[in-house]
Parts: sequence; structure tokens; C-alpha cells
Amino acid sequence: MNAYKQLLFALSLVIYGCAFNAASTPWEQLDSEQLETTLIEKFAEGNYSPKGADSCLMCHKKNDKVMDIFKGVHGNVTNSNSPMAGLQCEACHGPLGNHNRGGKEPMIQFGQDSKLSTQTQNTVCQGCHNDAKQMAWHNSTHNLEDIACADCHVVHAATDPALEKLTVNDTCTNCHTREKADMNKRSSHPMKWDQMTCIDCHSPHGSMSESALNKPSINDTCYSCHAEKRGPVLWEHAPVTENCVTCHNPHGSVNESMLTHRAPQLCQQCHADDGHASRVVQQPGVDAFGGGKSCLNCHSQIHGSNHPAGSTLQR
Amino acid sequence: MNFKLNIITASLLLASAPVLSANFAVSQANTTQVDQQNYQCKRCEVNSGYRGNVSVAAGYIESDDVHVANAFGTDQDGFVATANADVQYQNSEGYQAKLNTHQLGYENSFAQMSAGKPGLFTVDADYQLITTYQSGDAQSNLYYDQGTLVNSTLPYAFELSQQREKIALQAEVQHDMYQGYVQFETEDKSGYTSSSVMNPSPVNIGLVVDSTTDSFTAGAILNGANWLTELSYFASQYDNNSQDLSFTYLDDVYAAAPDNEAHQISLSGQYQLDSTVMSGRFIVGRMIQDDDLISMSGNPIQNWDGEVDTTDATLKVSSMLSNRLRVGGSYDYSNRENNSSVFEFQQYTFNDLNDTFKENIATDIERSTYKLNAKYRISQGYRLQAGYDRKEIDRSYSAREETHDDTLWGKLSIRAIDNVVIDIKAEHSNRDGSAYQTDELTSSEENALMRKYYLANRTRNNVELSINHTPLSWLGVDISAHYAKDDYDDTVIGLTESEDYGVNLNLNATVSKHVSLYGFASQQWINSAQASSQSYSAADWYTDIEDEFINIGTGISYGGLMQDKLTLGADYLFSNSNSDTYITSTGTTPYGDYYSYNHSVNMYANYNLSNEMALKLTYRYERYYDTDDAQMSLDETTSVITLGELNHNYSAHQVMLNFSYLL
Repeated sequence: MNAYKQLLFALSLVIYGCAFNAASTPWEQLDSEQLETTLIEKFAEGNYSPKGADSCLMCHKKNDKVMDIFKGVHGNVTNSNSPMAGLQCEACHGPLGNHNRGGKEPMIQFGQDSKLSTQTQNTVCQGCHNDAKQMAWHNSTHNLEDIACADCHVVHAATDPALEKLTVNDTCTNCHTREKADMNKRSSHPMKWDQMTCIDCHSPHGSMSESALNKPSINDTCYSCHAEKRGPVLWEHAPVTENCVTCHNPHGSVNESMLTHRAPQLCQQCHADDGHASRVVQQPGVDAFGGGKSCLNCHSQIHGSNHPAGSTLQR
Repeated sequence: MNFKLNIITASLLLASAPVLSANFAVSQANTTQVDQQNYQCKRCEVNSGYRGNVSVAAGYIESDDVHVANAFGTDQDGFVATANADVQYQNSEGYQAKLNTHQLGYENSFAQMSAGKPGLFTVDADYQLITTYQSGDAQSNLYYDQGTLVNSTLPYAFELSQQREKIALQAEVQHDMYQGYVQFETEDKSGYTSSSVMNPSPVNIGLVVDSTTDSFTAGAILNGANWLTELSYFASQYDNNSQDLSFTYLDDVYAAAPDNEAHQISLSGQYQLDSTVMSGRFIVGRMIQDDDLISMSGNPIQNWDGEVDTTDATLKVSSMLSNRLRVGGSYDYSNRENNSSVFEFQQYTFNDLNDTFKENIATDIERSTYKLNAKYRISQGYRLQAGYDRKEIDRSYSAREETHDDTLWGKLSIRAIDNVVIDIKAEHSNRDGSAYQTDELTSSEENALMRKYYLANRTRNNVELSINHTPLSWLGVDISAHYAKDDYDDTVIGLTESEDYGVNLNLNATVSKHVSLYGFASQQWINSAQASSQSYSAADWYTDIEDEFINIGTGISYGGLMQDKLTLGADYLFSNSNSDTYITSTGTTPYGDYYSYNHSVNMYANYNLSNEMALKLTYRYERYYDTDDAQMSLDETTSVITLGELNHNYSAHQVMLNFSYLL
């Protein structure tokens, strides 16, 4: 019991210490609207520092996170499109104004600690990043859900985890926790080992297609890797042609082949047309109806057949 | 009445209030007082020359099942070695080159190379190898011989795996007003996949996969102050190098996937007028497949001219009517017009003696989707979203030619409590359509009570709750739950109902500068019920399927040890997939086992030898088990010959020592 109490006391100390060490800004007392109004005024006045980044780094140089900007493209002075080749720090954080006199005047701040609305934060990034990849942003789910660019992207770093093949899935699944779990189901695309990434199919900045897919349709998205199923083929299987997700869940399934249900049950949800399709399969591993590949033992060309005599998708 | 009027008046006032939206884009900056001549940036750091790190790793893998190669990235057993690099070069004029490689030498690896001057031009070359392993000891008694399946007396074992080798080249040029890009990608796919042929009873085979898919994309982008437009072309060509299959005594039992090609021309654009943004896209496409058909009696043509024309159009509008109200809408149209030729082909029934002639069916599919949504900020901490979606699908030669789904949804976001974000979403949708009928072209002996689930009337209700809480600056807790129910009320035979519900819990803690922890747990249940009839009339037997999935993970990273040189860490992941099926006919019979689970452990120690050099020792453990009662040994029954039991039950270990050098 004493050990338990000591542990609890130690834990309380840790919590207490950390809570009071939390970083806070001097303009914490301003609410979101007051902050925005102040920043709008500052931005309109355009009272930029006389020496650019040198003015900012006079105080902030000791902060590693600040200096990490020079490791990435946003701190690249040799790139004419980089903010560091223009108004430097103030290109993103707004004019210095009187911020350097005691540090109490607010600057434009990004990320989850910022009280500035995501909409306003994002105008900074979109000022430069208004290219074709962002064309569908304004109607995207991420925009409607108030996702700030800085929620996913890190610019004060050598590499942005949202742009790296081995870390982009982690960035997405920070919020998309159901999809994170789906990767670990019995069958799934090889996402959990980063062999495939979320952005192979989806566009986080939105797209003109449903579910922010990169391709015009669900089936076009699947065909980009499964071109053998694109066809057209002589004998089509109607639900396959209509939509791959009629039968498959591309995020993962407890069934093999990412099927929503396994055969014969999946097939029997649409077929009760003759003696063998509607028969009871009492146990799966007994005969050709439930064993092995079940219905696909015979109807192996379930995605469509190009055999002249393949109307029943058997050859 | 007065109350209603007040609401409407208030809404109108809000909607007509002046739009107050800050725009801090650098292009809007007031730079009249700026004199960049005085900028010296003495304190700035210029990263010219080489940066990044290179590493080599060597270690040992102990495994008796090739399936673990999915996780370890290589099917090699025993001593393994690999190399990684993440190197960037930049000169004083801003020209850059990058090289990023991962697990070179493994069956799952990649290399990305890029060079150019950002903002002016870039050239990229990517290489990727993805290999997926299903089983290392599939069995067959059929050998391949130039497209002929030859019987052998004894079965042999082979590996069911597929490998994709992908090479992509891309070039991009940029200017203030325009941008252009070209991309070429080629992917070779090889290996074996599970399939089946009729002989005349079914025989499962390892189908040879040997194909190449080439794709080409080119585009040009023009942009102005408040508009941009993109014109692009996409082409894809699939070439299958594997052949149609025959037995020595029976020709053409299996047709290989035919070569095909697809082309798309896309024009898209965006226009911004004050706080209203419009974007749209128009695509025309064609899919062509004119591969030679198997030449046989009853086939009137040499090659079929399969051709599908596609048209896709999208228009989206979003407008901030006030600083509290945003409205949006979209219209999406998609048409798949199958212009393939139609002929009569001789078909065979079960005993290969009775034959009939049948016409191929060229199905057209047309879709229209309408969406309206609004987002209103009630007060500082409350936001309300609501929307209406309607999806219409017309398909020819179907049991139900027209269906439409209407969905109403709403979402309330609460940010009124400090450090807490609560989202509640509810959705109700209804599918209906034209009269459901058994169509002669789709089925000749359909049970009249069958309603195929993707066409059937359906009512769907869905609720989701999400709470993100940051009680302390170093602690984050996320909880989410969902419940969805589909009712197919008019279905007597077929899928009658399904429900999907689950919970997720995530916890992240940065306990100190050097210690961070995480943990997550999720559980999901998917239940469904379907009814069937052996008597072609009312339902006389039923199936209930109960799926359950559990996923648990935790990890710790403890750094700052040994004068900040040593970091220790560990991650653990558990997942369990289970599916139970119950058949109710005369009584209720449960199916045999159908589940899988795995435990993954990753432990590491990272030691910095100096500022540039580091050693990392990693131990990984994979425990994987799956079982499926449907699996049977090769010749367990005479009615089907299988590939044997492809279940897994293994433990595997990997120890790696990695040396990295920071440039």
C-alpha cells in the first residue's frame, strides 16, 4: 500500500511539474476573434522588421525547432520561391510590428496550439501553395472539418513526415484510427509495412472524385494496380463492373481477399437462382461448395471472363 | 409563427453580414515599408553540400514460414544485409539532388531519386519492389508446359506469391504562370496466384502471373491570380504474357486476362470570386480490349472489339456567406457507355453435352450525384454541419435498372470546453429505385423473392462519436465509437440486415523530454443476416455471420540515457480477426474455425557513437496464426482438388544491427 501511495505521489509530482511547464504565449489571454483582429491590423500596417530573419533570430536562434526551418525547403535562401528568399520569417508569421519589444504582441502562429482559426492559418500556406494539387481543397472534407495545413505538415524540419513514404501513413492514421486498425485485419493492402501508402489512392487535399480518390472513380483507382481486371471483357460480372467495393473492403477485412463476406455466403446474397446456388452449405470444408475456394472453385473468373464459352465465369 | 420568423430573420441577417475573413497570404502583404536590401540573414544557416545519412544493416532471420516476409520485407532466412540512404545535395545556386532508399536487396524495397531546382524544374526516378506472400507450401499435381497443364502422379509444393517491380520516371517544369509534367511508369508483375479450372470437376491451381502495365501521364497547368486550369492526358496499357490454359486432353479450359488499354483526357479548373470558390472537371475516356479470342467451335469472331467510352463531369461550389456560414454544393456525373459488339457464343452446361447459344451483354452504367452542405458556427465553441446527398445509378440489363440513395447527415462539433473536442455525427440514408424484376438476360431461374444487396431497398442509420481530450500539455486521449445499421426491409431472400459497430481508444503521452508512451485499443463487430431458399419460394434456411476484430498496441521510447547517447524503445502490436458463421436450417449449426491473430514485438537500442555515427540494435518478433475450416488437403474429397491447407502457424525472429553515418 505504501509503495502504491509513493507511486501515486511521484505520478502527481510528474503531472504537476509538466502541467506548469507547459509552454504558453504572452497573448494567451486574447480570444480567437481578438487575436485575429489584432493580427489583421498588424498585417495591414505592414510594419516589417528592418533586417528580416536576423531580427527574429536575435531572440529565437537558441530554439532548435526554429532553426530547423533552415533544414527544409522553406528555409532555403537559394530558392526564389521559398519564403526565406522573400520576407523570410515574416512571410509566414506576419509583420514583426512591436513583437520584439517584450514579445507580447502576437504573431501568426500555426498548429494545434494556435488560437487562430484554421481557415485563417491556411490562407498563409495557400498564398503560395495554390497549385493544381490544391484545386479541390475548398470543397474537401479536410477543409470542411477545419484541418489546418500544420496539423499534417511540418515545415520547421529537414523532412516533412506527410511527404515521406515511410511516415505518411502514420500522419494520416493519427486521426483516421479506424483505418489504422483496418490495416491489421486478416487481409488488407500492405499498408502496415508502408509498402503502400494512403496517398497511393487518396488525395488529402481533396479531389473531384468521391472519397478524395486520386482517380476519377473507385474502379479506376483499383485498376491502377489491378489493370488485368479493367477489361472490358466479353462476359462481365455486373456488380464487379459497377463497383469493386460491392464485394471488397479495400481498407481491410476479417475475411480473405478483403471480401466483405466470404464465399459461399457473399455469393448467396445475390444468387438463389437454381439448385446449387441456393443450397445449404452446412460446413465449409467438406465438398466443392464450401471447401477450397467455394463458389470460386468453379466460377474462378469471378471478375469476368474473355472465354467465348465463359458466360458462367467458369473458364 | 413569430419564433419561426425570428429564426429566418436571424439567419438572413447572418447570411447577409459582411464577410470578415482574414487573408494573410504573402501576396496580400503591405510591403511598402520593406527594404529587402537591408536583409543580410547573418544568423541564417545555408545547407549547401551533402546532408542526410547513409546506413548499412546486417542481421539474422529465423523463420520456417515465408509468410513472415510480408512483415520482415525479405524471404531470406538466416544472414541478411541491406543498405539505406537518405541523402540530399544542394549547391550554392539552389540546384538539388536527393536519394532515398529503403531496404535495398530485400523483396520489399524502394529507391527514390530526384534532381533539379525547386520552383524551376525537377526530374524524378523511382524504383519499387513489392512482394506479397500467401503461402510457401501450396501443392498441386499440375505442371505448366507452354500453357498446357500436365498431370503428375505426385503433387509438388510451390510458393503462392506475387511480385511487383515498378519503375517510374517523371519530369516537371515550373514557371510563374504555367507548369508542365510528364510521367512514365512501368510495372512488371510475376508469381503465382490461386485460381481454379474445371477438369471437369474443379481443380485449384497456382495461376501463373506474368504481366506488364505501362502508364503515361502528361499535363499542363496555367494559373492566374484567382484561377487555375489543368489539361492532362493519361494512358495505360496492360499486357498479359501468360497464356490461355489447356489440358493435354481438353482444350482451352481457362482464358487468360486479355490485354487492354485505357485513355483519359481531363480538363479541370478552379475559379475564386471573393469568398466563393468553384472547381470543375471534365473527363472523356475510352477503354479498349480487342485481344484475340480463343478459336473454337461456336465462336463466330477472331477477336472481339470491346470498347467502353466514359464521360465524367464534376462541378463543385463552396461559398463563405458570412464569417459564420459556409455553404457548398456539387454535381457529379459519370457515364460508362459500353459500345462493345454483341455476338452469340456457344455455351456449355454442366455435362459439356448440352449446349446453348448466348449473347454477351454490353452493360451501360450512368451515375449522377448531387450534394448540398452547410456549415454554421453557432458560437465560438459550437459548429454545426448538415448536408443532403443523392446518388442515382442507371444500369442496363439489370434486375433493377435504376436505384437512388438519399442521405441526410448532420454533425455537431463542440469545442466549448478547454482542451476537449467533441464531434457527433448522425446519418440517415434510404435506397429505393425502379421495380425489381428478374431479367431474362441476367438470370433465367432467379428466385422471385431474391433482392441482390447492392440493388435492394435499404435503410441505413449511422452515428459516430469522437472525443479528443488533451487534459495536460503532454497527454492526449482520443475516444471514438460508431454504430451503423443497414436494414433491407423488402428483402425476403438475400442479405436482410447488417450492423457494424466499434470503439477506438488512443493515448499519447510525452512524459518527459526523453520518455514518450503511446497505447491504443480498438474493437469492432460486424454482424449480418441473410436468408435463402432451397425450394425457390419462401426462405427456408438462414445464415448469421458474426465478425469481430480486436487491435491493441503500445510502445515506449526512453532516450537521454548514457549522457544522451542511448535511446531504448519497444513496440507491441496485437490483432485478432474472427468470423463465426451459423447456419439455421432444421437446427442451428456453427461453422468451424475461421480466425487469425498475430503478435508483433519490436525492441531497439539506439546508441550514438559520435555526432555522426550511430549503432542501432533491433529485435523483432512475429507470431502469426490463421485457420480456416474451409481449407482442405489436396485430395480430401473427390469433388474438388485443392492447393492443400494454406493455414499458417509460426513464430519468427529477426535481429539486426544497423550502422548509420550522418553526412
